[in-house]
Amino acid sequence: MRKNLQEPFWQALIVLAISYVLLKWGIPYIPPLIGVSSAPVPQSVLVQFMLTVAVGVLVWVSDNEERWRRFKQPIREALVLPERKRVRVALLVLLPLLVGFVTYDTVRPRVDAPAGIRAVHPAPPTQIDFRGEPVRIEGAENPLREEGRIEEARERGFDIYYQSCMPCHGDYLDGQGHFAHGYSPAPLTLRGGSTIAQLTESYVFWRIAKGGPGLPREGNPWNSAMPAWEDFLTEEDIWAVTLFLYEQAGISPRTWEEH
Amino acid sequence: MRVHTAMTTLALAAVFVAWPAGAQDGDLARGQEVYDRWCASCHGFDGAGEGPAAAYMLPRPRDFTGGLYQIRTTTGGELPTDDDILHVIDEGMPGTTMPGWQDQLSRADRRALVAYLKSFYPGFETFGAPEPVSIGRAGRASEDRLAEGRMFYDSIECWQCHGGLGRGDGSSGPTLEDDWGYPIRAADLTQNWRFSGGGSVEDIYRRILTGMDGTPMPAHADLIDAGFMDEEQLWSVAHYVRSLSPERVPRVREVVRVERREPGEVPSTVHDERWEDVDSFYIPLVAQIIIEPRWFDPSVNTVWVQGIHDGEELALRLSWSDRTRSPDPEWSDFQARVIDVMEPKEGDPVEPGPLPDGITLQFPTNIPDGTERPYFLMGDSRNPVYLWQWRSDQEGVEAATAQGMREIQPLSGRTIDVDAHWEDGLWQVVLRAPFTAEDPRNEVEFEVGRPIPIAFYAWDGDHGEEGTRGSIGSWYFIHLEEETPAAVYVAPLVAGLFTVGLGLFVIARAQRRERLSSEANGHEEVSTTTTA
Repeated sequence: MRKNLQEPFWQALIVLAISYVLLKWGIPYIPPLIGVSSAPVPQSVLVQFMLTVAVGVLVWVSDNEERWRRFKQPIREALVLPERKRVRVALLVLLPLLVGFVTYDTVRPRVDAPAGIRAVHPAPPTQIDFRGEPVRIEGAENPLREEGRIEEARERGFDIYYQSCMPCHGDYLDGQGHFAHGYSPAPLTLRGGSTIAQLTESYVFWRIAKGGPGLPREGNPWNSAMPAWEDFLTEEDIWAVTLFLYEQAGISPRTWEEH
Repeated sequence: MRVHTAMTTLALAAVFVAWPAGAQDGDLARGQEVYDRWCASCHGFDGAGEGPAAAYMLPRPRDFTGGLYQIRTTTGGELPTDDDILHVIDEGMPGTTMPGWQDQLSRADRRALVAYLKSFYPGFETFGAPEPVSIGRAGRASEDRLAEGRMFYDSIECWQCHGGLGRGDGSSGPTLEDDWGYPIRAADLTQNWRFSGGGSVEDIYRRILTGMDGTPMPAHADLIDAGFMDEEQLWSVAHYVRSLSPERVPRVREVVRVERREPGEVPSTVHDERWEDVDSFYIPLVAQIIIEPRWFDPSVNTVWVQGIHDGEELALRLSWSDRTRSPDPEWSDFQARVIDVMEPKEGDPVEPGPLPDGITLQFPTNIPDGTERPYFLMGDSRNPVYLWQWRSDQEGVEAATAQGMREIQPLSGRTIDVDAHWEDGLWQVVLRAPFTAEDPRNEVEFEVGRPIPIAFYAWDGDHGEEGTRGSIGSWYFIHLEEETPAAVYVAPLVAGLFTVGLGLFVIARAQRRERLSSEANGHEEVSTTTTA
């Protein structure tokens, strides 16, 4: 066994096997152990990575004449030596079965849901119609913040958030509310750098006021369960809850650039 | 000298850190900060369970001022240990609105919260919590134990509240209320992933043994003390209760496979045995809290879907837990109480009264080519939907088209066969219809091999649900299995045979080359290689 480990052929096989295990299971499962989120590597990317590893291995084994000869040795032996006949027969049965299985797996009919593409932050309108009143979005700041009514807005937003938004967006604003599992696409987290941290308060106002039904076409209309809150809340309520989101998540809104 | 000063400082610091009173005060201040920010919205700033969001929830958030805790390792009626409180903060209470905080708050913050929660009830100071009850070991769930568990389930009358088959449909159901007078439902024992104290055999054992204070669930330790049953037999009950739920928490699969059968083999009744080996798909439903009037306490939280087709017709069997066959006059008072306590009261008020159970299936009128689907709440003006509406107080199924929750038009089209049956807290409904539409402008044409969007809504009349007040889910798909094309079997065979051929060729070539090279090198060497 130890002797085999010094053979380039077996070394190459082991490197390939370890790479496969790491790519296939290591990437999705190891980072969560230290609290970093991860996801499985898509099949096509996995194949590309494995090809890269294989090329690397080939370059290494053929790098000098002696190693290349030793690398080929076990292959040659398996192909020609009479006492390796069993290995030959086994390979002749197993490899075609494997190829057959992979082929079957590729051509069999699948039941997959059509992949949905989601425009994460569609471009906002310059102005919206809020129950018949125009509200400017582009360049607008939160009037409650501008008037310094932050504490009042925070308290009002607290009540509104936990009554109406929490069931989906969660107690911790992490998108894990107790009704979140019923919706696809899932309600968004409001934490981290990818959602409200990238947006201005007036953009968030627009999304809350108009919800899923008010998404422009590139936002994949109608697949979002977000209600149009103008049906339930006043303009000031929505500004208050917008301010509250940033306060509670501990992030600051983006501001409009001065022109 | 310097080292010496440092040592003294360290020693002093150690004394301060170890000083219990100092640590306690720090905990409380930090605990209050965390509580006010993350807990007060439901449990209230004063801990009385009446935060601004409390009235949107049933069961209501716990009132901490009375020292009553449901999930404990201590005897019924006693206070919980610090670890018990921490456990609920960490794991939350599944099936209720209480989330787990383990990954959200630091351990120190959660510990500080425990200290602060205890400060709402002076009894923690005066009495303190007793030692946890030791519970022994679960052992294995054999057939005999399950049978024994079932026997005791009957004799200690679990069925009074939880029902004969555990779906929470017991005869005491309509009278149940918690210690604060709010209506409460006995747990549906077929959904252990929604047990508020956890779904393992050990969790179940503890809940039966020590009860759930503040709810009608009593402690059963007295039955052991009185010699009516022993601990092993109580473990058998726990094993039996555990066996009522699936082995694993069901997984959501977006595509419901409708299995292909021979022509004429599509069942039309609920109890047809052909359903028995058909895969069942779990569809979670949640509250309709999107359009007015909203409803925050959905009764139906899961529908299981099975499907069979034969290329001409398809049948779907829908199964869901529902405690009552609405309208059931026994439950009219319970219904009135639920309607009374649930906020918000918006739109047309619901009047307590006999309401049916119902389920609606929604399809887009045309199967979409891209990813755009109609609005999942009964469509919209641009994208209408096609509905099958079943109600427990009507014969048959009413087909309809809709362009929004309030724009529903009845439709006469294809014939839909229906069979519905309620027993022991379980509704089962079979809907069978031909693929071909009678009215192709308004009805979907079913096709094999294509994902067809489908959505489910459900109502429990005795829970006060009708119209927009009910359970909803977003779009799923049904996939009617195709006949497997011959290529699926031919291609792997060809590929396999080709590999065999290639292998034989490579071996033959290698051996020929070996022979040639050994002939060139003289005969002796060949004999050494071949006999080595």
